[in-house]
Amino acid sequence: MSTESKTTKSLLLLSVVFTTLAAGFLASPSSQPAKQNISLVDTNFLDKSTWRRSYADLVKAKEDLSDFDCYACHEKNKPPPLRYDAEQHLIVPKEHPDIVMHHGSHERNNNCYNCHNESNLELFQTRDKHELKLADSAPLCGSCHGPTYRDWEAGIHGRTSGYWDRSLGAMDRKLCVNCHNPHSPKFPGRKPAPGPHPLREVETARGTPGRSGSDLHAAVNDPLASSPQSLRPGVPRAEAH
Amino acid sequence: MSAPNPNSPCSGSTNMDRRSFLRTSAVLTTGLAALAASLKPLMEMEDFPTAERFMQKYYKEMTPADMDKVLARITNEVEKQYGLRPHVRDYKPMDGVEFVYCLNLTRCIGCRKCVHACVAENNQSRNPEIQYIRVLKMPHGSLDIEKAEHNYDPAQVPEKGFFYMPVQCQQCKNPPCVKVCPVHATWQESDGITVIDYDWCIGCRYCEAACPYWARRFNFTKPEIPKERLNPEMSYLGNRPRRQGVMEKCHFCIQRTRQGKYPACLEVCPAGARKFGNILDPNSEVSQILRTKRVFIQLKEEIGTSPRFFYYFDV
Repeated sequence: MSTESKTTKSLLLLSVVFTTLAAGFLASPSSQPAKQNISLVDTNFLDKSTWRRSYADLVKAKEDLSDFDCYACHEKNKPPPLRYDAEQHLIVPKEHPDIVMHHGSHERNNNCYNCHNESNLELFQTRDKHELKLADSAPLCGSCHGPTYRDWEAGIHGRTSGYWDRSLGAMDRKLCVNCHNPHSPKFPGRKPAPGPHPLREVETARGTPGRSGSDLHAAVNDPLASSPQSLRPGVPRAEAH
Repeated sequence: MSAPNPNSPCSGSTNMDRRSFLRTSAVLTTGLAALAASLKPLMEMEDFPTAERFMQKYYKEMTPADMDKVLARITNEVEKQYGLRPHVRDYKPMDGVEFVYCLNLTRCIGCRKCVHACVAENNQSRNPEIQYIRVLKMPHGSLDIEKAEHNYDPAQVPEKGFFYMPVQCQQCKNPPCVKVCPVHATWQESDGITVIDYDWCIGCRYCEAACPYWARRFNFTKPEIPKERLNPEMSYLGNRPRRQGVMEKCHFCIQRTRQGKYPACLEVCPAGARKFGNILDPNSEVSQILRTKRVFIQLKEEIGTSPRFFYYFDV
């Protein structure tokens, strides 16, 4: 009889264990962590095109080039006069509203004819009076920016796309003006793409020492979270600009 | 075993009365029901390996015919799951090629476009989010990763006084992750890319712990990719969809670079900060950068991993 009662006892004990486990599993709706609401990234951030189109691109795409017909407004053989304000800043005529002259520090490059050819506005000219076509702007930039031009020719500076292996396909090297506005060449700022979402949101504030066990997964996918300098969204930023 | 069990209900009525039989049966039934209920998490498992996948050979031992069968299986699995017939290939390393990545820290503006181009190209899970590239923001004049921030979200980048450092798999020459793998599911190929066989990985995450660059990601849950965002150009060791419970990481876009193309993160970079190529070709961009640029660093070079990923500065 003692064997039978032992068996019954152990079976009962096991039943209690299994029932507890089952209750535990049923209480939590899924063994998978709750899904966060992460929206898909805006496809604009996946766009591979350059932010400017060069004159060469427009010619290639056979687009409207009437904007580049200088002598629709200007008179031939009569260089347009340059006007300066009291502080010797170039006054850009209101007929060219898209031009903001900001090439070179300290406003030193404030003469249109440093690059444009005054006797033929449909051409460029370098400082040593070499004439260049509008589509051939890179050597014009290179006439001042020598080291950068050398790097660009080697593919070190600037954007490339296509094939690294030239035997399998062509490498497309973008022009200076695909990224830099020649009148204001500093690279413009832009909105960054969304930052990372940790697997589970971590509620950490600056100086909070403890981390609960439920944050373990987040810590794995987010090693910098434990660093006190790491700033979470919504936490006031000390070095804000 | 030869003697009849005295507790068994069919052993006769000598040792068991009606009451104890009923009690034992009731307890047994309750126990079995409870056992079944406690196995609920198993019922949620959808991804039971098929016999084909279970019997699959080790990658390096597969013949081309074996690989064709495996690729056909993957094609069917992806089509069944996403309703889209992918183009899955197994690209082998090219002869005389060793890949190197160079990243110009002076040019990087921290826009994170590379992060999302990588996710789109390599079919990473969108929810939960898995990203191979993490962009660190650091104050000028320092290179202290402990002080780096990666959750920055200003109206505009770059911010004055800061620089940005994207970190991804460094494709080490001496990779600690490969050494710790207990099943040889990750290894270094002849072109320098450290790859993972997702069908061989057991998900122990030793490699994740071993990596000093935090480059490896684990699929804690079933990856979720919207059908319209799935990239159908796939490779076996690269961007084919992963399962729950396997590791993944940057593989220099195997499906692109082994066909001679640039990786996706390079193509999308608006600042031209990323440069990629064959270090064995003296005329490649990366060879010229390492030859002519004045300063370049390998991240944590003092630990001897010898990364194939170089950060440099220029004027």
